[in-house]
Amino acid sequence: MKRMMLLLSAVAFSGLTAIAAQGQSQSTGTQAEDLTVLGYPVTDEQITLGRQVYAQNCASCHGAELQGQPNWRRRLENGRMPAPPHDESGHTWHHSDQDLFDITKLGVGGVVAGYESDMPAFEDILSDEEIAAVLAFIKSTWPERQRESQARVTAKAGGGA
Amino acid sequence: MTLLLPTPTRRAFLTSAAAFGASAVLSVSVNRTARAAPGKTPSAIAFDGNALIVGGAGFIRRDDGGVSTPLPGPKSGSILSLATHNDRAGRIVAGLSNGGVALSEDGGQSWEARSQGLPEAPVVAVAAASSNPETLYVSVHGDGLWKSEDAGRSWVFAMDRPWLADAERDLTALASVDLATGMGGIWLYAGTGLGLTRVPDCFCRWQDVQPGDAMDALVSGAAPAPEAPLPTGEPIHALVSAASVPMRLYAALPSGVWASADAGVVWVQRSSFRTDAVAVHPNNADQVVALTEDGLIQTRDGGLSWTPLANN
Ligand code: HEC
Repeated sequence: MKRMMLLLSAVAFSGLTAIAAQGQSQSTGTQAEDLTVLGYPVTDEQITLGRQVYAQNCASCHGAELQGQPNWRRRLENGRMPAPPHDESGHTWHHSDQDLFDITKLGVGGVVAGYESDMPAFEDILSDEEIAAVLAFIKSTWPERQRESQARVTAKAGGGA
Repeated sequence: MTLLLPTPTRRAFLTSAAAFGASAVLSVSVNRTARAAPGKTPSAIAFDGNALIVGGAGFIRRDDGGVSTPLPGPKSGSILSLATHNDRAGRIVAGLSNGGVALSEDGGQSWEARSQGLPEAPVVAVAAASSNPETLYVSVHGDGLWKSEDAGRSWVFAMDRPWLADAERDLTALASVDLATGMGGIWLYAGTGLGLTRVPDCFCRWQDVQPGDAMDALVSGAAPAPEAPLPTGEPIHALVSAASVPMRLYAALPSGVWASADAGVVWVQRSSFRTDAVAVHPNNADQVVALTEDGLIQTRDGGLSWTPLANN
């Protein structure tokens, strides 16, 4: 039943994600080759799952094409920051795999003490596998330069395993 | 706590930019000291090699023999902030009271505007990235942090102002500190009307200064309280990192010059004169000049003893 749901939603979302995929294919495509997440090689299935998780849980704020909210460098009236892009124009690729995992699981407020943020904690919504998958998908959209830079940050932080 | 600079929201600021421009400049000088006529007083100092440069309504270059040469300075306004880089002798970047940036490549003899794309508001602080002299940062009053990667020929908005005690706070001082963030870059430290903050040069988030890198802060979750922070709530007028020992910081505060040997975790007070600007020699982290109400004072032992600099 679960798989059934997944397949059905995959069809429903293919429209949305096609847009995202188009943007990426110019730079890198979404091949899993040479990409790791949290110390493990990324698989095509993971990227497929991650794309769905992204469309359902992240796209509403971070944008269907990972482009972020408009004017995302400017603070909102309430003092909080808008959702930044997850593509190479943002700063997601400056964080290690483990940081990205923690931020997604616990929210930014959950990892930076005393920091108020609109980034929700996904610990009660997504499994660890789904979080890893969405990060794999996000990473798969990055050009080589961002991938390499982020791999170095991850390695320095202790391999991200 | 003195917070004389109004802190309008950006939108409010933009709509009243014209009217506000004049009063902002005035309150900057009022904020800095209550001595001579506003604008006549120097506001910023820096080292260009062994020479000390002093900017305000005019511009003075003081060589290491102590001879001061007054120079015309940028045409487009008086100087609020100055930056140099040890790898670019003779290059001086000046933030202007009328808005915009002027750049000199000849030690201050001639200047050209490097303001394209910047909002028209006072440039309160300026810094050159320690890791790359072509990368410049400026703090635009009432607006935020702007970045140039081509020595000021073009500018992009890098980051909004930090949110502290329920409001956005202007950056009153900037210093690029050559210390790894753990995120593939180095730190940009900043002063506000309420104290010290910093951001990794990927410009993800403003954060408090604490031991360790940005990664440690994330991993450990709760940040340990700094052992000896700067006095709470005191404005920071200027901030520098010694090029020869990047972890060595000096801050100019109303209460005096403060020094840190560990990139801002532990601070020690090194003078008790109200200080408006501070500069550290690029090759000698113990040689520091401070701009006080009574003029320029200098130390050659990291602030243990100070002597007045003649001729200023
Ligand atoms: C309700 C809106 C919202 C949703 C939904 C959302 N985010 Fe965020 N996210 C934000 C905001 C806002 C920020 C910026 C937080 C800040 O810096 O204050 C953010 C920041 C982040 C960051 C930190 C980026 C950086 O470089 O600092 C990561 C990683 C992230 N989000 C991942 C995700 C993922 C993965 C999902 C989906 C599973 C998701 N977000 C869903 C609003 C959202």
